[in-house]
Amino acid sequence: MTGWIESDRWAERARELRDEGWMLMDLCGLDRSGLGRSVVNAGGAGTAGAGFRNAEGTGGLYGPRFEVVVQLLHALKKERMTLHVNAAGDPPTVPSVVEVWPTANFLEREAFDMFGIQFEGHPHLTRILMPDDWEGHPLRKDYGVGKVPVEFISQPLMQIDSPGQSPETVAAERSVDELGQSGPPLRTVEEG
Amino acid sequence: MSAATGVIKDLEERGHGAFVENVDDDRMVINMGPVHPATHGVLRLLLELDGETVISCEPIIGYLHTGMEKECEDQNWRSAVTIVTRMDYLAPFFNEQAYSLAVESLLGVEVPPRGKYIRTLMAELNRLSSHFVWFGTQALDMGAMSGMFYGFREREVVLDFFEMVTGLRMNHNYIIPGGVWEDLPAEWEPVCRRIAEIVPNRIDEYEELLSRNPIYLERTRGVGVLSSSDAGALGATGPMARAAGVDWDLRRDVAYDAYGDLDFDVPLRTDGDVYARYEVRMAEMRESIRLIRQLIDGMPSGDYKNMDTKLTPPPRSELNRSMEAVIHHFKLVTQGYTVPAGEVYRAVESPRGELGVYAVSDGGTSPYRLRVRDPSFVNLQCLPVMTLGGLVADLIAAIASIDPVMGGVDR
Repeated sequence: MTGWIESDRWAERARELRDEGWMLMDLCGLDRSGLGRSVVNAGGAGTAGAGFRNAEGTGGLYGPRFEVVVQLLHALKKERMTLHVNAAGDPPTVPSVVEVWPTANFLEREAFDMFGIQFEGHPHLTRILMPDDWEGHPLRKDYGVGKVPVEFISQPLMQIDSPGQSPETVAAERSVDELGQSGPPLRTVEEG
Repeated sequence: MSAATGVIKDLEERGHGAFVENVDDDRMVINMGPVHPATHGVLRLLLELDGETVISCEPIIGYLHTGMEKECEDQNWRSAVTIVTRMDYLAPFFNEQAYSLAVESLLGVEVPPRGKYIRTLMAELNRLSSHFVWFGTQALDMGAMSGMFYGFREREVVLDFFEMVTGLRMNHNYIIPGGVWEDLPAEWEPVCRRIAEIVPNRIDEYEELLSRNPIYLERTRGVGVLSSSDAGALGATGPMARAAGVDWDLRRDVAYDAYGDLDFDVPLRTDGDVYARYEVRMAEMRESIRLIRQLIDGMPSGDYKNMDTKLTPPPRSELNRSMEAVIHHFKLVTQGYTVPAGEVYRAVESPRGELGVYAVSDGGTSPYRLRVRDPSFVNLQCLPVMTLGGLVADLIAAIASIDPVMGGVDR
């Protein structure tokens, strides 16, 4: 089973689900910015995905970039349910369900840490995996893996290839690229 | 539920680190870890103590965070196995298995019976090797140092078998979407039978060492109690939950891979203390042996992975003869296969509980989002509930009984 739900109905619905016997198994963020204007539509947790459903087919439910994806388990019925909670606003905001399922404590903190999703009413919403003073939210799609500045770049070495060369001329001949790698200038293919 | 909400209130009022200023003369704030022999890795606990009594306990994690979920988004579906296998490093086969099941669900492909049996065999052996490490470390934490030697001695036997099959002792990259990477080597059967023969005797030795040991009983009975309602509210799974009387095992209740064909029991205790968790894990090891024997006897012949050339590179012998085979090989090596757009959540019963993988595909050759629900991460939240009001020594016993693997917690 897969369902979508608006964030303002989530706290209330979570209580109902808990009373029906559903356990919270997982809660994570999802940045949909790379998925375009379509909704992930699976045939239900544990079955093959049925592809994407168009935004038109969702009855206007589809909207914001961020979602909180919740995995629920009903142990007696042996059923699983996936719920997508729309996280609208800037910063994206969703009510916290820690009061309903205490296990959401760490899970919501991780979704906040990785996606910057605010959980209203969470008792202690701080970064959990990244350092407290970290900037940005790493699992967002616009946070590239290659954007971390490189530290401790080695200084170019002065190497004299043949006897009689002076260090100054060697230094002038060698180019240093932006990563600090030294080496002879790249050769171009000679004509003829 | 009551104890769990108490902890949350506690956090709400004070927040981590904030209460250091309000400490009076009798109270002491201590950082246990991140480098401490009894925290099983780089777990840091912020403790507030009144003498020897734990007043508050907050796990602080993230010291081993390496951004594996992000890294997977840059890999193709096949090579992401090499990353997920490194998450819970004591149970690598389970990471691979959960991930492969998720990708297979998205692809809609079947695993041939031999592939399923090999996976299940490796998983059960892995459960043994993981529980051996748990046995060794928890015995050491309780002061029974020889337990450490015993546990690691048996683990070595199992790891040697893994090395024989996969070439590596850990991080095997062996279970892949569609089956397993290589067939079992020719001499697998006698080695496996030998393991199934040795281990039960060794478990007897373990029980002789600890089960009726008065010191051990004193340290574990009635210590670190987690009630079944707390276990449910805090999302505890695996031996943690089964020791509290929660009768739930994905192997039996969901029956993925070959478990549907096999006959086994799910050990259950109701005390919810450290000793109950010890008993559950010991009984689980015996059940694993039972499963391994059935898997050896029932091992089917045939393909060990799905031989669809859109998923698996063709055999090397065909590359010399068939242009088609060369094309498939080239496409799979350079680009990888595409996975139909969609989402899926699949879970397996790892030695620590429910290990779930939530995968989203946008129809491309790499995961759009890959989320791993690691049992250690969730189970660790039970620690404050289990330890508040107890002694520091009981806290050590409680950590050991959770059996957290920080590689899985921090990912």
